[in-house]
Amino acid sequence: MEALSGLIVLFAQPQLLLLVGLGTFAGIYIGAIPGLSVTMAVSILISFTFSWDVLPAIALMIGIYMGGVYGGSRTAILLNIPGAPSAIATALDGYPMAKRGEAGVAIGVTTVMSFIGGFVGIAVLALAAPLVSDFALSFQPRDYMLLAILGILLVGSLSQGSLTKGIFAGALGIAIGSVGRDPLTFAERFTFDFQILEGGISFIAVMIGMFGVSEALIQMHHVDKRAMRQKIDRVVPSLATVRKHLPLSLQTSTIGVIVGALPGTGGDIAALMAYDHAKRVTRNPEPPFGEGAMEGLVAPETANNAAVGGAFIPMMTLGIPGDAVTAIMIGALFIHGLNPGPMLMIDKPDMFWFIVGCLVAANVFMLIFGLTGIRLFARIVEMPRGVLIPLILLLSIVGAYAVNNSIADVYWMLGFGVLGYFMRHYGYPLGPVILGVILSRLLDDNWRRAIISERGDLGLFFAGILSSPLSLALFASVILIFVSQTPLWTRAKARLFPNAQRNP
Amino acid sequence: MKRMLAGALALALTATAAVAEYPEKEIQGIIQWGAGGSTDTVMRSVTPHAEKVLGGVIVLQNMTGAVGAIALNYVAGQPADGYTLLMGAENPMLYKVMGLGDKDYGEFIPISILARGTAVLVARPDTPFDDYAEMISYVKAHPGEVKFGSTGPGGVPSVINAMIGAVEGELEVTRVPYDGDGPALTALQGGAIDVMPAVLGAAIEPIRAGKMKVLAIMDSQPNAKLPDAPYVTQFNAGYETYLPWGPFFGVFVRKGTPDEAVRKLTEAYAKGAQHPDFVKLMNDRGFTLMGISGKEAEDFLAKWQQGTAWLLHDAGLTKASPEEFGIARPGN
Repeated sequence: MEALSGLIVLFAQPQLLLLVGLGTFAGIYIGAIPGLSVTMAVSILISFTFSWDVLPAIALMIGIYMGGVYGGSRTAILLNIPGAPSAIATALDGYPMAKRGEAGVAIGVTTVMSFIGGFVGIAVLALAAPLVSDFALSFQPRDYMLLAILGILLVGSLSQGSLTKGIFAGALGIAIGSVGRDPLTFAERFTFDFQILEGGISFIAVMIGMFGVSEALIQMHHVDKRAMRQKIDRVVPSLATVRKHLPLSLQTSTIGVIVGALPGTGGDIAALMAYDHAKRVTRNPEPPFGEGAMEGLVAPETANNAAVGGAFIPMMTLGIPGDAVTAIMIGALFIHGLNPGPMLMIDKPDMFWFIVGCLVAANVFMLIFGLTGIRLFARIVEMPRGVLIPLILLLSIVGAYAVNNSIADVYWMLGFGVLGYFMRHYGYPLGPVILGVILSRLLDDNWRRAIISERGDLGLFFAGILSSPLSLALFASVILIFVSQTPLWTRAKARLFPNAQRNP
Repeated sequence: MKRMLAGALALALTATAAVAEYPEKEIQGIIQWGAGGSTDTVMRSVTPHAEKVLGGVIVLQNMTGAVGAIALNYVAGQPADGYTLLMGAENPMLYKVMGLGDKDYGEFIPISILARGTAVLVARPDTPFDDYAEMISYVKAHPGEVKFGSTGPGGVPSVINAMIGAVEGELEVTRVPYDGDGPALTALQGGAIDVMPAVLGAAIEPIRAGKMKVLAIMDSQPNAKLPDAPYVTQFNAGYETYLPWGPFFGVFVRKGTPDEAVRKLTEAYAKGAQHPDFVKLMNDRGFTLMGISGKEAEDFLAKWQQGTAWLLHDAGLTKASPEEFGIARPGN
């Protein structure tokens, strides 16, 4: 009954629905510009909507959130510049498609898959929120550490070409991520007594530089080449395509919801893990991963939109944010006189259903706006490079500055852009660098928490892993994935299953 | 030379003009902490009410990093004209002794110390002790077994720990570091830690829902939000020396800001903080409204700094002695 009344509020008031739509539309464009993040937009909205009622404020924020997560894929596909960290994996196969003239198809698939992922996330939120939040809470520091190690192993699938270079890039990322004052002890690490290094290096600045500026520099090599004509006659993927990818999209959505629901991990890690999963389960993709495989789009895009619903799970059931955006929304609820926490679902169940309703509406709006704007967007890639390159640089600079209003971040961004350019020239993959930066803190902090909790005793630490089913499962996956990437595995397989058909 | 003179004259003219009709342009409010945190919530909810009294626009902006030192140094580097406000919490008063920076609120004029938080010692519901006294005897019987959450030197938990150490003698517990009381309280609910000294506002909702239990409120009197919960001086009167203690939130401008601007801002924030919506928000989150400014606020800051810095120093947590910065031991 409460469910109904909460949902009805939204659909009975056209202005609320309109705000969700407006938010989604704005979110797509905010998400598409590297550096303008959803987190930033939502925190600005807190002041902006201060005098509003709580319902319209939340409606607008949810629209921006959903739209923004999806919007990041736009520039990833069209320009090889992820608009948000959660779209890094999308660029790996999306951009090769755009280079072939299939940007329209790529965006079409991305949109539909984001929609499917979004719905899976919302469905889990609506039907199983308390279950999932209990599961997410049961993650101990050692489990987060194992999850981070699982993430680090993705270096293998993000490195096209040399694995050694990939590992180097990943290690560089981890080192970059640990610069600055250690948040647990305030000890300075890699700061060389420079005050500017104390706050660490902004992860977004690294990302924009590595992808945006280095891309612009690479493009300068082909400044005279004619841009690829884009085929935009058929952008909505056929039912057969959707059906073909449905099993994969459901699996990767599940990854998205769970990683999204974990406090401390969000859509960026979810998307990368989903990409890795797709690479593992897809047999003989045509074309292969890294050259424009459709599966390479399906996986990260379903996962990062599913992570939206996931992030609301701990927020609504416990008042614990699932990611940075939900952390701000909790602040917004406080300001509007609500008390988000475990009692919110009991005190104000209609609020829960109103949020679910807004998410559903935002997801539908995302599908509509996503599919209608494609033709116009695809034209961006057809722009002459003399216009496009300065535009990329401008967006990169504005984006890097906007994150912290810091000119130092712009210098970092430019420096990492040049570094990224040379790395690409010498065949070092950039994906693992970003992966390293994202996972650096997660790995470092949780390893220390885990070992401090066991009072420095490695024996107790492993006893802990072996006695918890969750830790054991994660530990087993780490070992399996690790072994399967070494020559040992192929040899063992050949001996164990001599008659099995060999998979190329 | 002529041009320089003209420039100086123009500058002087605009400066006087600015004072005459303050505020004549947008004011920047720099929040030391990230969006969604307690400082952010407090500042974003009081500022719109203050704006109405002031008749100007205050644009809020989060500037995070280095425990708030980046924001503090930024505002300290802006002109002292009342157009850049620093909105922060208690941390800067410990920068010097913790080796985090060489500036603190001593370089600023307090416009308003808005509110003070109360610390509370919470535990997982299934720990084998139910109040402060039981916890102390359990810890003494099982050294190193109880896991306390902490948030790095200078944070609320480190001060509470130092206080417990000063009153009860050093407790043998395992301290697991987190990067904020939010993540630590999440870990507490997941069973990764057993006890957490937290700010009441961050713990009130899970307490209400029975997700954690109160061992003691770190205060010398019962709390209106949790009237039945025990307060720590009931267990050990030794805490009277250090209490009341709590983190606080305040709005500041640089020293040297024209009196007119200081007066108008002080009035705006004093009135804004009385708005019923803000009062309700602060009550809901378990904060004690203060709304002090001027001399009273400066005395409060000095006293707070003395007590806390020496407490941390005696617990061996500081990088430098408070004496080096002319912070006298309380009572001297």
